[in-house]
Amino acid sequence: MPAAPAHRLRFLIAVALGAVLGAFLLRGFVSDASRQVADEAQERQAVVTLQALTSLVQRAGGEGDAVRSAVAAWQSRTPSAPQARVFRADGIRLEASTAPDDAGDRAAPRRLRREEKPLYDRSQRIAAAVQTNREEQHARKPEIEVAPAGARLSLAGPLEKNGAVVGIVEIETAPLPLPKPAGWSGFLLALIAPIAVFGGLAFLLGEKRLPLLAAAVVCVAASLSWMGRAAVSELAAQQQRAAEQVAERVRDQATVTRVAATAQGLPGAAAAPGSWDVDDFRQPLGLLTPDGSVNPQRLAQAVDTTARELRRTLLGAGALALALLLLVGLGAFNLVGRSLRRHRQAYLYIAPAILGMVVLVFFPFTYGVTLSFTDSNLYNTGKAISDIWIGLRNYADILGDFAFIKRGDGGSFVNYLNFYWTLLFTIIWTVSNVAIGVTCGLILALVLNTRALALRPIYRVILILPWAMPNYITALIWKGMFHQQFGVINQVIQLFGFPAVSWFDRPASSFLTALATNGWLSFPFMMVVSLGALQSIPADLYEAARVDGASRLQQFKAITLPSLRPALVPAVIISVVWTFNMFNIIYLVTGGEPGSSTEILVTQAYKFAFERYRYGYAAAYSTVIFGILLVYGTIQNRVSRATEA
Amino acid sequence: MPRSRISEEFPHGPLHAMLAVAVLVTIYPVLWVFSIAFSGKQSLAIADLPPTPTAGDRLRAVVPWPEKLSVSNFTSVMSDQPFARWMLNSALVAIFTTLLGVFLACTAAYAFSRFKFPGRRVGMMAFLVSQMFPGTLMLIPLYIIIVQLFGLGSSRIGLIIVYATTSIPFSVWMLKGYFDTIPKELEEAAVIEGASAGKIFWSIVLPLAKPAVAITALFSFMTAWNEFILAATFMDKENMYTAPVGLRFFVGGFSQQWGYFAAGSIIVSIPVVLLFLYLQKYLVSGLTAGGVKG
Repeated sequence: MPAAPAHRLRFLIAVALGAVLGAFLLRGFVSDASRQVADEAQERQAVVTLQALTSLVQRAGGEGDAVRSAVAAWQSRTPSAPQARVFRADGIRLEASTAPDDAGDRAAPRRLRREEKPLYDRSQRIAAAVQTNREEQHARKPEIEVAPAGARLSLAGPLEKNGAVVGIVEIETAPLPLPKPAGWSGFLLALIAPIAVFGGLAFLLGEKRLPLLAAAVVCVAASLSWMGRAAVSELAAQQQRAAEQVAERVRDQATVTRVAATAQGLPGAAAAPGSWDVDDFRQPLGLLTPDGSVNPQRLAQAVDTTARELRRTLLGAGALALALLLLVGLGAFNLVGRSLRRHRQAYLYIAPAILGMVVLVFFPFTYGVTLSFTDSNLYNTGKAISDIWIGLRNYADILGDFAFIKRGDGGSFVNYLNFYWTLLFTIIWTVSNVAIGVTCGLILALVLNTRALALRPIYRVILILPWAMPNYITALIWKGMFHQQFGVINQVIQLFGFPAVSWFDRPASSFLTALATNGWLSFPFMMVVSLGALQSIPADLYEAARVDGASRLQQFKAITLPSLRPALVPAVIISVVWTFNMFNIIYLVTGGEPGSSTEILVTQAYKFAFERYRYGYAAAYSTVIFGILLVYGTIQNRVSRATEA
Repeated sequence: MPRSRISEEFPHGPLHAMLAVAVLVTIYPVLWVFSIAFSGKQSLAIADLPPTPTAGDRLRAVVPWPEKLSVSNFTSVMSDQPFARWMLNSALVAIFTTLLGVFLACTAAYAFSRFKFPGRRVGMMAFLVSQMFPGTLMLIPLYIIIVQLFGLGSSRIGLIIVYATTSIPFSVWMLKGYFDTIPKELEEAAVIEGASAGKIFWSIVLPLAKPAVAITALFSFMTAWNEFILAATFMDKENMYTAPVGLRFFVGGFSQQWGYFAAGSIIVSIPVVLLFLYLQKYLVSGLTAGGVKG
């Protein structure tokens, strides 16, 4: 740079930008975390209330007048949940309700009305969830539904009798208090202090690059870490308060239900009110002791976990801010900015396309590759990537499993889900298709190239039709023609007195159907390419050859084949890739039948993702496919460059 | 016109016989679709067989001519089934994909062809490599971005955006090749006369590149019109299906409405087949030059 050094100014801007970015990110993450804690506390209190009411209803026998008066007694002492309903699935009956709407002729007990189907559906969902979780012995489907209804929460949980779900208990909370926004004073301090301090230091240090850099980093890092530490301890205090609130709600509900129960002459106190504090799967959270006071050890653990997570996030944000500082401070942005300015026009022209490609091609690709290092599947889609990270295990499973012939009882059999089987099948598929395409296409092109052949344009148009038709339609047509009972092909076979073939029952015949379909649609490409090359051969060459007394075979070898080569080589290269990736034909014609034996790599990857729901594994599978294509592409590039040179 | 004489002395009779066989194999599935479509029935058999069919019955079931001619499959697929709606979805998606895709590709290809700037080589390489990204790797992230992030599930806009961007690399390579052949002197002259870069692009370069732009546009259109997997993944609601997804719906799973499928296939195929026959000579040169696109 010929310009006079302006390190101080540049670093001051860098410090300002870094501090702004860092402070904003920190504030965002911290208020997110704090809102999460607040929401969770509200939800836990509501769940405690729901569980308390459920236990009361269950003690009252689950139906009849006893339930209705118990619910009424409970309601009169529970202002935090202004309405509750008990629904029995066996009679599609609203058993008890304290909702203002359910008065007069709508008062419980009554049959559910048509417009109240959502309540019925909810009960069905919850019953099914409990059933599933019991069968799988695994908490997968939420047994307590918590849904926001405006500023309120609407909760529903199962009502059980003798271990079976007979209905649901539903409550709606009073409007929840809005979360208090975090204060701005700490934020402003974290923003202004580093700038002011660095300004002072810069004045003292003068135009020296390294000391300025060190001072800038220290200023920003110190202020951010101070802000982060304050936020973490603030969050811990908030969690403490939240736990106490929940404990208080438990004690309150214990009293309320006891009073309501004794008034009805029911067995009095609930066994362990502390166990009302459960998650969506009705598994106790364990943050409270059975009698309903805060369990300090478990709370400390929970606080610790949250703090660790928050600290990790904040470290990331801080690193980002420091990276910005370094980029600006060291002048990388200046460079980029200058380049942007100098080539403004070029970047303007490519910006829309690049933006689209980044968002919808390169980002998804990166995301997909990241997914390939995880155990992502249907059951853990909500989890963070770091929780399901399994490193290279998917790749090891895919590439390390060579046992595609397995020995079982009853002899050995091929494991069709094995990667190497599918790879082998894909290679056989590609080679045989390209061979068929080239052979048929070349022969037809030679025939069509005959001089003065009558009807030539008509033949040409008809023979090109398969290429013109959308290939998914071709696939479905052939699928229909190979139908075992009604398909035309079996009719022809039977016409000649042979029994009908059930094509999709054996791997070999299934493969033949896909081969026939793909052969049918791929020969025109080769034909057109070869025909173009043949027509560009000058007639004089053959003339000269004939004068020299060459036979037709010699002419073919010496003139025709060499002239075809430059056109056919790229055509073969590209049709290898097409066939390798020919998703539609395999997916729609054989569908991998029988038993995944006729899947090619791309359809197999698709099935792993969308039929077996192993997203991480499928992503690794696809990445391997990408690797294969990349290697092929590089080799192809080398070869074609070598042939050009 | 120069023409080879390799088969000059060949008698034409056997050649015609060979071509006749090839034509029969080629055209039979097409005729089959037509006979199912005009049969007025949903069965995939051309003729119903008696319980103990004779050779004559079997022959009848193979000849691609319906037992009874009827256009009822065409009328009811358009009126009773939501097929007209699916066609509309496909047409809108394909048209807007073409407009957006060609616009994005033209500007980018022009920059790649005319300007020297840092990142030019990397950009072209990245476009080329992106052609090898397997669709199955992109599907899940794309689904998350389009459906969960942008909320564009079962929407034509979502599909248009995805089709348009994924068609960019191929179109850019094709257009850049053509832009490279347009002499720079024309633009230099315009610069001397004081035209702005935008004006040069819109009123000099684009009109000159009309043939290439047209080919790219038609190609984008056909790709969007024929695409099946992404549409099947994104379009959940039945009334938002595109024509390919709808046709699969007729005969996929346990559904066996072959009459509707055949009639619909004919309606869907006619425009693209005509376009294709018109375009094919450009396609060959473009495809073999364009690299490893599937």
